[in-house]
Amino acid sequence: MAATRRLQKELNDIRQSGLKSFRDIQVDESNILTWQGLIVPDNPPYNKGAFRIEINFPAEYPFKPPKISFKTKIYHPNIDEKGQVCLPIISAENWKPATKTDQVIQALVALVNDPEPEHPLRAELAEEFLKDRKKFTKNAEEFTKKHSEKRPTD
Amino acid sequence: MNCDQFYSVFRHPYSITNLASVQNNTSNKMSAESDMEYSDNDGDDYDYYGEQDDCDMEAVDRTKSDPEYFLYTCLRVEEVEKLLNESIELLSNSLQITPSLAKVTLHAYEWNAQEIINKYKENANEVLVYSRVKSRSPVLQASTSRSSCAVCANTPPMHKYSALACGHYFCNDCWAMHFEVQIMQGVSNTITCMAQDCELRAPEDFVLSHVTKPNLRERYQQFMFKDHVKSHPELRFCPGPNCQWIFRAWTREGARRVECQGCELLTCFSCGAPHHAPTDCPTIRRWLTKCADDSETANYISAHTKDCPKCQICIEKNGGCNHMQCGACRHDFCWVCLGDWKSHGSEYYECSRYKEDPNMSSDSQHAQAREALKKYLHYYERWENHARSLKLEEQTLASLKSRINQKVMAGEGTWIDWQYLWDSAKLLKRCRYTLQYTYPFAYYMDNGPRKELFEYQQAQLEAEIENLSWKVERAETTDRGDLENQMDIAEKRRTTLLKDFLEFHTTTASSSKV
Repeated sequence: MAATRRLQKELNDIRQSGLKSFRDIQVDESNILTWQGLIVPDNPPYNKGAFRIEINFPAEYPFKPPKISFKTKIYHPNIDEKGQVCLPIISAENWKPATKTDQVIQALVALVNDPEPEHPLRAELAEEFLKDRKKFTKNAEEFTKKHSEKRPTD
Repeated sequence: MNCDQFYSVFRHPYSITNLASVQNNTSNKMSAESDMEYSDNDGDDYDYYGEQDDCDMEAVDRTKSDPEYFLYTCLRVEEVEKLLNESIELLSNSLQITPSLAKVTLHAYEWNAQEIINKYKENANEVLVYSRVKSRSPVLQASTSRSSCAVCANTPPMHKYSALACGHYFCNDCWAMHFEVQIMQGVSNTITCMAQDCELRAPEDFVLSHVTKPNLRERYQQFMFKDHVKSHPELRFCPGPNCQWIFRAWTREGARRVECQGCELLTCFSCGAPHHAPTDCPTIRRWLTKCADDSETANYISAHTKDCPKCQICIEKNGGCNHMQCGACRHDFCWVCLGDWKSHGSEYYECSRYKEDPNMSSDSQHAQAREALKKYLHYYERWENHARSLKLEEQTLASLKSRINQKVMAGEGTWIDWQYLWDSAKLLKRCRYTLQYTYPFAYYMDNGPRKELFEYQQAQLEAEIENLSWKVERAETTDRGDLENQMDIAEKRRTTLLKDFLEFHTTTASSSKV
């Protein structure tokens, strides 16, 4: 498969680079098309927890973009209850074969840290974010404490 | 439900079932002849938005007599290909660039070759940057060694790499795969470089030098053609299903009627929606969106059957004419307002006019909402009703064809003798079409003298159309002179209304022929 060599290289590069915000990368050896990992955001209200995501690469990768979904529930205007996320860099129209997975992950981490209420997936959270930031922050913190995973200790 | 309660009233000289049997008989007897003559291309029917090559005198006359007159042509795919190739050739010759580069710039500048030539002489670089075939930033220096292709991570030999003008080198296998995936997704003119953040477009020659599969190359060129037509301000595909014709015209403002030579569909050249004069493009879009949102309620309220206002028997409408005669009690009434038809025959025709309830208390929000719904339904019901009438009259048109054939076969005159019947049915269709589209126009009009004038003219038109419809449905028994007189009156009403209310935002058609 054309995707294998490229993904193997990307996986090695990401593991070696030791990203602080994306850890615990798990890839089943029999299927390199599915990755799991922990998003570790720096900004409140999400900096009290970590969020597991899954990256699914299509067989045509890198000519078609990967898909990302959240496995951990998160209170975020751009991520819906099913864990779907709207990330322009991996939309079919914007996708570039030379875009690397670490660029995608950095774009995702940036979105988690700084929500974009202008084009939300959950309109009610975007409204709360814009109109009552205190309430939003409080709700998101409580939600993070209740549902998110533990942050790595190192 | 008890079937006896339903009673269909057939007001036609032939009931639908009779017509069907007539049609079958004729088609059996003379299947070979049934499709001959009277095709629209004969030019002897009312197909008055004709070809461009008519003499000037006639064109001048038409612009006066026909308020919807609009200069356009219907082109076949090959003709459009020729037209586009002429632009491409002109540009590539005068600027000394490849045809494939000419295509990219024409696409970017909406096929305005003159503008490209002028700008190119001023600043060639700017034109290429704007067309996205050249980077604004300095080109990357092609290094002498490459560790691996950034896309597939393979290490092919140096000569198996290529790049666009931006200098982002990738291996040829990856380019081929990239183009294949993009073409399969329907992308053609706008396929970009594979590098992150690089917006440079791949010209046709570069794409084709990497794509070898014949079916893929063909697909690419088909999408390319579609994209070119869509980006060309003078061209528009006929929206008819599986229709291959393309309209060409020189302005895209206001309601502009174009009729397809292939499928006869009426389209507005400006917006691509079904033709909608006198309503303008933004208004018809609003109206259709509104109807799509509210249609369920509206459909529920305007059911397909109504009760006779006199004897309350249930009546199903089976013809286009709104002048109804109850089969049970012989009461004449109007299908639209259920009023006595007597009040419709006189010169003041009231039922197209919407009367706001003067007793409504304006401060009650609930009452206002009710009134708004009532107002909408008034217009919607009429809009829908005429749309249905139009469909039924199309059936009349179809059955007329076989009836005329039958007459001709029976030796009762020739096609020329019966041509007026066909003309009258075509004219009726055209008049009712315009009438249908007067309702969204009236709905969005502000109250005032202009709306009063409009509704007066609309009422006049409606009255004459119903008269015409009544006579067309009984055409064989109606006096020919009487019918032709009625045709003339209805068409005059139609053109008067359009003359007074069809507005074009720009009066001059900007000619940007290349």
